[in-house]
Amino acid sequence: MAGYSVSVALTGSGGAGAMTAGQILLDAASKAGYYGLMTRSMGPQIRGGEAAALLRISSRPISSLDDHYDLLVAFDWGNINRFAAELPLAAGSLVIGDPEQGEVPEPIAKFGARAAELPMKAMAAEIPGGRINMIGLGAAAVLIGLPLDAVLSVLSAQLGRKGEEVLAAATQALKAGAEGAKMLPEVAKLPAAPVDGVKRWNISGNEAAGLGALKAGIRFVAAYPITPGTEVLEYMAPSLDKLGGALVQAEDELASINMVIGGSFAGIPSMTATSGPGLALMTESLGLAVASETPLVVVDVMRGGPSTGIPTKSEQSDLNIAVYGLHGDAPHLVTAPNSIGDCLSTTQWTVYLAEALQTPAIVLSDQAMGQARALIARPDDLPYVANRLVAKDNAEGYLRYAVTESGVSPMAIPGSPGNNYVADGLEHNERGTPSSQASDHHAQLDKRDRKLAKFAYGEMWADIEGDADVAVITWGSCTGPVQEALIRAAEKGIKAKMISLRLILPALPEMMAAALKGVKKVLIVEQSHSEQFYKFLRAHYDLPAEVAVIAHPGPLPIRPAEIVNRLVAWKK
Amino acid sequence: MSEFANFMAHAIALEMEAAERYDELADAMAVHHNDEVAELFRKLAHYSRLHHAEVKDHAKDLVLPQLKPWEYQWHGTEGPEAAPVERTHYMMTPYHCLHMALQNEKRGYQYYADLAYKSADPEVKRLAKQFAEEESEHVVMLEKWVADLKEPEPNWDLDLDPPVVSD
Amino acid sequence: MNVQAPLTHQDFKSDVKPIWCPGCGDFSVLSAVTKALAEHGRPREQVAFISGIGCSSRIPAYTKVYGFHGVHGRALAIAAGVKLARPDLTVLAAGGDGDGLSIGGNHFMHACRRNVDMTYVVMDNQVYGMTKGQASPTTAPDWCNSKLTPEGTGISPVEPVRLALAAGCNFIARGFAGNPNEVARLILEGINHPGFSLIQVLSPCVTYRPEQRDWKQAVHASDGNPSQLVAEAMHRLASDDGFTTGVLFAGNRQAFMPPRRGLGSIAELERKFAS
Repeated sequence: MAGYSVSVALTGSGGAGAMTAGQILLDAASKAGYYGLMTRSMGPQIRGGEAAALLRISSRPISSLDDHYDLLVAFDWGNINRFAAELPLAAGSLVIGDPEQGEVPEPIAKFGARAAELPMKAMAAEIPGGRINMIGLGAAAVLIGLPLDAVLSVLSAQLGRKGEEVLAAATQALKAGAEGAKMLPEVAKLPAAPVDGVKRWNISGNEAAGLGALKAGIRFVAAYPITPGTEVLEYMAPSLDKLGGALVQAEDELASINMVIGGSFAGIPSMTATSGPGLALMTESLGLAVASETPLVVVDVMRGGPSTGIPTKSEQSDLNIAVYGLHGDAPHLVTAPNSIGDCLSTTQWTVYLAEALQTPAIVLSDQAMGQARALIARPDDLPYVANRLVAKDNAEGYLRYAVTESGVSPMAIPGSPGNNYVADGLEHNERGTPSSQASDHHAQLDKRDRKLAKFAYGEMWADIEGDADVAVITWGSCTGPVQEALIRAAEKGIKAKMISLRLILPALPEMMAAALKGVKKVLIVEQSHSEQFYKFLRAHYDLPAEVAVIAHPGPLPIRPAEIVNRLVAWKK
Repeated sequence: MSEFANFMAHAIALEMEAAERYDELADAMAVHHNDEVAELFRKLAHYSRLHHAEVKDHAKDLVLPQLKPWEYQWHGTEGPEAAPVERTHYMMTPYHCLHMALQNEKRGYQYYADLAYKSADPEVKRLAKQFAEEESEHVVMLEKWVADLKEPEPNWDLDLDPPVVSD
Repeated sequence: MNVQAPLTHQDFKSDVKPIWCPGCGDFSVLSAVTKALAEHGRPREQVAFISGIGCSSRIPAYTKVYGFHGVHGRALAIAAGVKLARPDLTVLAAGGDGDGLSIGGNHFMHACRRNVDMTYVVMDNQVYGMTKGQASPTTAPDWCNSKLTPEGTGISPVEPVRLALAAGCNFIARGFAGNPNEVARLILEGINHPGFSLIQVLSPCVTYRPEQRDWKQAVHASDGNPSQLVAEAMHRLASDDGFTTGVLFAGNRQAFMPPRRGLGSIAELERKFAS
């Protein structure tokens, strides 16, 4: 729809290779100099399940999927009804199916897009070792106007090591698909690739979070696999080894969070990554990290909940547990990246905050960012590194939990002579000795609260764009659609301000008041069923009188059009 | 290492173990607000330390073997004058405390008396005999002390408050 | 040059007074730990002592090394984190039978098989003391003195040393609180043995299990020749009465430690994403 981008969906089941084709298409777009985004939608099957590679390729930086796909290439129609809702098409869109697979099924046909046929299976069968996904990939590349050379170059880089025969077969199939596409109706074509000299990265949100953590100085990770957080850990395992750090796989999340506490207590910046069910298991020990003032980071890559929920699909519904899940009065940090690239920046910043404030921090990423891959401008280098306030050796009369003005107390690291202390989850006095006295409890509660409340978080607390008396407040992966919506609204003459919160906890009422100065109406955009973010804002911030909410649960992403429509309606 | 040096190392450790155990029990009693018995245990620790100093003085010109805690050869598992931890109670009375001390001293006497009888080393024999005599003096002293105390009521350990629930 | 005298076990004791009931076996374990550390000979700041929750888990505060008194059941996980993050430290963990074998049972099994180089002292009194005397995983099924299970648990107790052996523990010993010097020896052997070492200490609870005072008569020393073969140790432990003290198994598995090659850089990691 937007003239600067084209959106393509590749679907298939039974190991048809939709994901591989999508990955090659994205890499080829990168090669050709475009920006891009690829998310994936999968069934629950371990192998052979229905899968969709959902791409948007663009001549400008993009942070959101579009409202619909311009091209859908379906290698087959197996179980397409399960994710048809995630494949919105417009009247001008083109659906390519294989005649052998029958008519376009109703859930897709109902969008009213144009349909065309390409006998992909038959074409592949004519090529020794030919695969259907390469036929489809060749066709898709030609249809959207992506140079075939770029695709071939990616193909040879990726398949080269599998041997000449495999590469030759793939190349032949790709070319056959490209040839076949010439008989097909036209679809929206890519504009010329930008020549902006901007260094480009090809990275997933989960990799970005891992890299950000490493850049901040994380050198110990305890891991328990869980979808969709596992790739953070899988990325970090070999990377930590390269940096002289270590990752260990734990027996469960109870162990992983406590290993992280141990690693951090021992002086090494430490973290783990998980998803909702894992975070739930970790919450008791997050309380321990608060009480013992042990810095650590948990990256929660959110998925549909509650319980096992929808492990492979995104939702912003762990906000409540991240903010309110700890027992007792337990001040801690909650942050949220708002784009794939920002997964790096926010995680790096969060490690810095956790270490500076000696408290646990939860980074709320989600499946939509974590498992999506983007072609983005290289994220800026940020100055944030772990820098803990450490006690001097043989500090006289050392008090681990000294009540200080900032609330932060120098932390002795094992190995430091003369400063031995016992970290404790029991309420304690300044020395760390267990105490149930009111005065100690109050003093320690105050200091743990004060250190977070008094800290200068700076501009990173939120991304604020535009200036108007209408504001859209959002967070996390909903930020991309909001940004795109505001660009489109501006084209219609509607101005709105965006406030995307990066720092969820602690809430900063003064910063928000300043950001909302002159704002008369607020639209809140989030991906949860019970309006968790809206209620959180209500609890912690003063909002203008007129407030509207767009809140949908996963797995469907929030699309820019809905936001634009709401702003337009408001204007009338 | 000579048998005598070995003997002296044991004699020194015997008094030190006794003193440290009494200190530990005194602390435990103080934590449980049994100040009277805590005071007594402190006193006993003090006497053990005096004896420790005396024994050490006997050995001042000797090169003593450096024994690890588990390398000492006692009749039981610990030095004979170390009070048995499991025989203490937070409500124990001076009567119990001194009876316990009496038993400890009797074991100390027995230990030295045995050595005085069994050892082939004349130096060991001589000093063991001397230490045994000293221990028997302690026994007599404690027996007198205990005799002045009334046996506690049968329900001396009755606690009207139930144990507390903690972490 | 100023040569410092070696530290004695008293140097490893803190000035915090234990809250344990007088008569508790844990006092002897404290004494044994400090004696073992004195013989171990490392400076106090090079030792980390980790515990969970329960009477016995209070022990780190009574020593003068770095300590962590964590949440219930997770001592072994914190301890593993400390050792894996800082291989240079000597790491001890301690706790009770409930902390280690009930709520922490999964970590116990995996600590045995993971074989991180650390020493775990389980003070076993077959009861939950801190919550007023409930049955623990090592309590006999017919023990009826808990209001929670007035007719006994009716459940077979777990034998910690057998469980440890089955799970792959590399060094297994049992001591008795009434013999703190031997417990000290076992702990030091555990520290010196590579990998994960379990020291089960029969540590009487005089408040809820006063009958355990009689353990003094029940314990008996092993023959002093610990098996190095799992099958042999398994056979011996199968008929063990639970009161044999000494080293029961000393295996030769290598301790687990990730490699940390450190042959790359952030710049190299970033280059992989450049398109």
